[in-house]
Amino acid sequence: MKLTGTYSLPANMERAYEALRDPALLTQCIPGCESLDLIGPDEYAMKMKMALAAVSGQFEGKVKLTEPNPPSSFVMLVEGQGKIGFVKGSGAISLKPSGDAATEVTYEGDVNVGGTIAAVGSRLIDTTSKMMIKRFFDKFSTLL
Amino acid sequence: MATTTAPPITRTKTREPLVGKRIRRREDPRLITGTATYVDDLKLPGMHHAAILRSPYGAARIKSIDIAAASKHPGVVAVYTGADVKDVGPVPCGASLPGLRVPHHHILAQDRVYFVGHPIAVVVATDRYIARDAVDLIEIDFEPLDAVADPEKALAPGAPAVHPEWPDNTAFTYHQAGGDADKAFAEAEVVVKQRITSQRLIPTAMETRGVVADYNIGDQSMTIYSSTQIPHLLRTLVGLMLGQPENKLRVVAPEVGGGFGSKLNVYAEEALMGFVARKLGKPVKWIESRRENYTTTIHGRGHVDYYEIAAKKDGTITGLKVKIIQDLGSYHQLLTPAIPTLSVLMLPGLYKFQNVKAEIVGVFTNTVPTDAYRGAGRPEATHGIERIVDMLAAELKMDPAEIRLKNFPAPEEFPFNTATGLQYDSGDYALPLRKAMEIVDYMKFRREQDEARKQGKLVGLGISTYGEICAFGPSPATPAGGWESAQVDVDPTGKVTVYTGSCHHGQGEETTFAQLAADELGIPIDDVIVGRGDTAKIPYGIGTFGSRGTAVGGPALYYAIQQLKEKIKKFGALLLKANEVEYVDGQCIDPNTGKSVTLAQCAGAAYRAMKLPPGETPGMTATYFWEPPNFAFPFGAHIVLTEVDKETGRIDIKRYVCVDDCGNILNPLLVDGQVHGGVAQGLGQAMYEQAVYDDNAQLVSGELMDYAIPKATMMPWVESSHTITPSPVNPLGVKGVGEAGTIGCSPALVNSVVDALSPLGVKHLDMPLTAEKIWRAANGAN
Repeated sequence: MKLTGTYSLPANMERAYEALRDPALLTQCIPGCESLDLIGPDEYAMKMKMALAAVSGQFEGKVKLTEPNPPSSFVMLVEGQGKIGFVKGSGAISLKPSGDAATEVTYEGDVNVGGTIAAVGSRLIDTTSKMMIKRFFDKFSTLL
Repeated sequence: MATTTAPPITRTKTREPLVGKRIRRREDPRLITGTATYVDDLKLPGMHHAAILRSPYGAARIKSIDIAAASKHPGVVAVYTGADVKDVGPVPCGASLPGLRVPHHHILAQDRVYFVGHPIAVVVATDRYIARDAVDLIEIDFEPLDAVADPEKALAPGAPAVHPEWPDNTAFTYHQAGGDADKAFAEAEVVVKQRITSQRLIPTAMETRGVVADYNIGDQSMTIYSSTQIPHLLRTLVGLMLGQPENKLRVVAPEVGGGFGSKLNVYAEEALMGFVARKLGKPVKWIESRRENYTTTIHGRGHVDYYEIAAKKDGTITGLKVKIIQDLGSYHQLLTPAIPTLSVLMLPGLYKFQNVKAEIVGVFTNTVPTDAYRGAGRPEATHGIERIVDMLAAELKMDPAEIRLKNFPAPEEFPFNTATGLQYDSGDYALPLRKAMEIVDYMKFRREQDEARKQGKLVGLGISTYGEICAFGPSPATPAGGWESAQVDVDPTGKVTVYTGSCHHGQGEETTFAQLAADELGIPIDDVIVGRGDTAKIPYGIGTFGSRGTAVGGPALYYAIQQLKEKIKKFGALLLKANEVEYVDGQCIDPNTGKSVTLAQCAGAAYRAMKLPPGETPGMTATYFWEPPNFAFPFGAHIVLTEVDKETGRIDIKRYVCVDDCGNILNPLLVDGQVHGGVAQGLGQAMYEQAVYDDNAQLVSGELMDYAIPKATMMPWVESSHTITPSPVNPLGVKGVGEAGTIGCSPALVNSVVDALSPLGVKHLDMPLTAEKIWRAANGAN
């Protein structure tokens, strides 16, 4: 499944780039995220709760940030597994200035899901993903 | 010995036969009041419960399995993985084709999984919920691999190999030809080509599968209760898988809540529960959840077919070429590769052209295996020929009824030999079509259609004329014998039990076979019960599938009764001290004296055996195994009137008319029920249902929220009627009707919608005809 979108952040590019790679901030903003622990250079172990339609459960996985090109782009790789299935995705995140104190973030991702969440929630994956991304950025903007 | 005297002058008139009457099903009261016993109703002392861990991946290597936490979970009795069941024989493939590649199908995955739902481990616990919870405690390290779910993509160079040993993903190719199709095409005045698909479907029996296995340590005997259509074949095959001697294995099919072919199989779980019960010395139950049902019980159809039809300008069809790409799934289940060969047999439909060339490519994909689903190979072929004949008619600007009538064999040409090697037993194919046309007032409708089109309305009429291979079948044409067994027992008190090897599971033989037996024995229907589904009680039988219950099981019963009647008459003659007696209305009558004895008196004498007729044995029972000389070929015509809403893509079915000819009818009420149920499933394929796998071989239509089976509100009023052309291949003259509705429905519906959309230039649509697809076609959108 492809995910694309843009969001405007109330900060300059350098600040936005830094914040988008700050585990403490990300933990607070990723919906359902319980922990994000550094396990290697730019690599984190993540625990999160996810609910989709009638199924919900805990996911454990890894988040890896690669291809850093501060302050304008990086790539995020996510891999998670839980009892209700698995998620694997990659997203290219690019930033560009939008006035003096604002940055436009564009994400382009490809997400694969499997297991029960694919069988049961496939109709909802698209909208749920979009909703989660929106909730992430909404909160992220307030904490930035 | 008491005797009664019959009226002196005329003998009592034989009573009105029960066969042919609309009698309500005797089995229904218990089924609709919740007093019937299904597998899940069984509760054996000390019974454990099993839950199965299944693959979430379409393809992955299993790097490690850790069962420690699950094993320690309170209430868990045992956990078994692939390593424990290595020595259990493979899930059997009963079909054989030249050069067929058969992957070893272990009952639990070994080091690799091949489809979402592939069983990996089983947890046995004291309670179903504990077993299910403990499944979540098993840790598996998977290495996901590339998977492929689309059969045409699987054939493309560089596609992921489903089985690494066969990188081309081709399980077999099969060729069959009759006549000279190349010549027919070279000389053709018109050729029409179309790619036609029959999408993957999920059978969705109301009762999912379930197994209870019990092992008696004392005498080392095993009993398997399974929701199956084939208890004896299951006994033979599971016995072989487990190394359990067949005489120490009993299989019981309790009440079965629908099968439609999905329970015409031998599944991993049936052997797995036997393995567990024997290992633990405890009964164990596994009940399939709906989600498991969708990802592990066989799917149906899965065809991508390339059709070419050759004809003369006057509409005479001269030849057909078809390439069938059959999506087999990841493994062969019992009949997987055989199903498309049935399509090939049925390719000519009801038409008399003699030049056919067919090719099948059987393709492995990372999906649930496909196998027999209501119609099994025949709906695909009927859909194809009925679509392409409509397209040919459109090309020639001919009326679709006229082109059909032109190409049927004449009644005097029967038995009719087809280009694919079948011999159609009897028929007058124009008869049901003309009758259906009369019912819808065909010419009037066409005039009204012209008017409606002038007003911009999209109204259509679709015809399908179908034939069907039924009464499976002569043994040489089937993988496991095509005969059927019956036994008739008369108790010392004259009560009758008939046993049939055809394991009916909703078809209603508990009623129709009782009608038949009551008529033949001249006794009240309440004195007859019909036994089935237990290998400990019933002579070896083949089972119910391929519209064979009545058409093969019925004659077996008929002959068993005829045999027994001879014995009854001998005891009657003995009791009446007559040379010969007649058997009328449940009594033996001496024609010279008018004296008679009842069936009960004869049976009593046979069990008491004070004196035996010369050369006769005690007891009152007869067993008969009947081998059919040929298939039987029912036929019919379905006509559907539709109106399509251009703005919403909604299809409104205005009338659904079917005229089915299934030979003689034992019970018209049950035949109508079969047709209506069949139409519902045909309509499901035509309009709603589709098993969808995504690019990673994840089944995204994985439950009833996403897989659209037709509900009662989606059903049209089915105007059902019949013509009757008795079959000469069996003494009852019956042909079979279990699959007729499904086979006749989908092409009629699609032809109707294409006809409705034809003013917009639409020539073909693939199923299912969802509102979105119709809207796009009607509005020129892609």
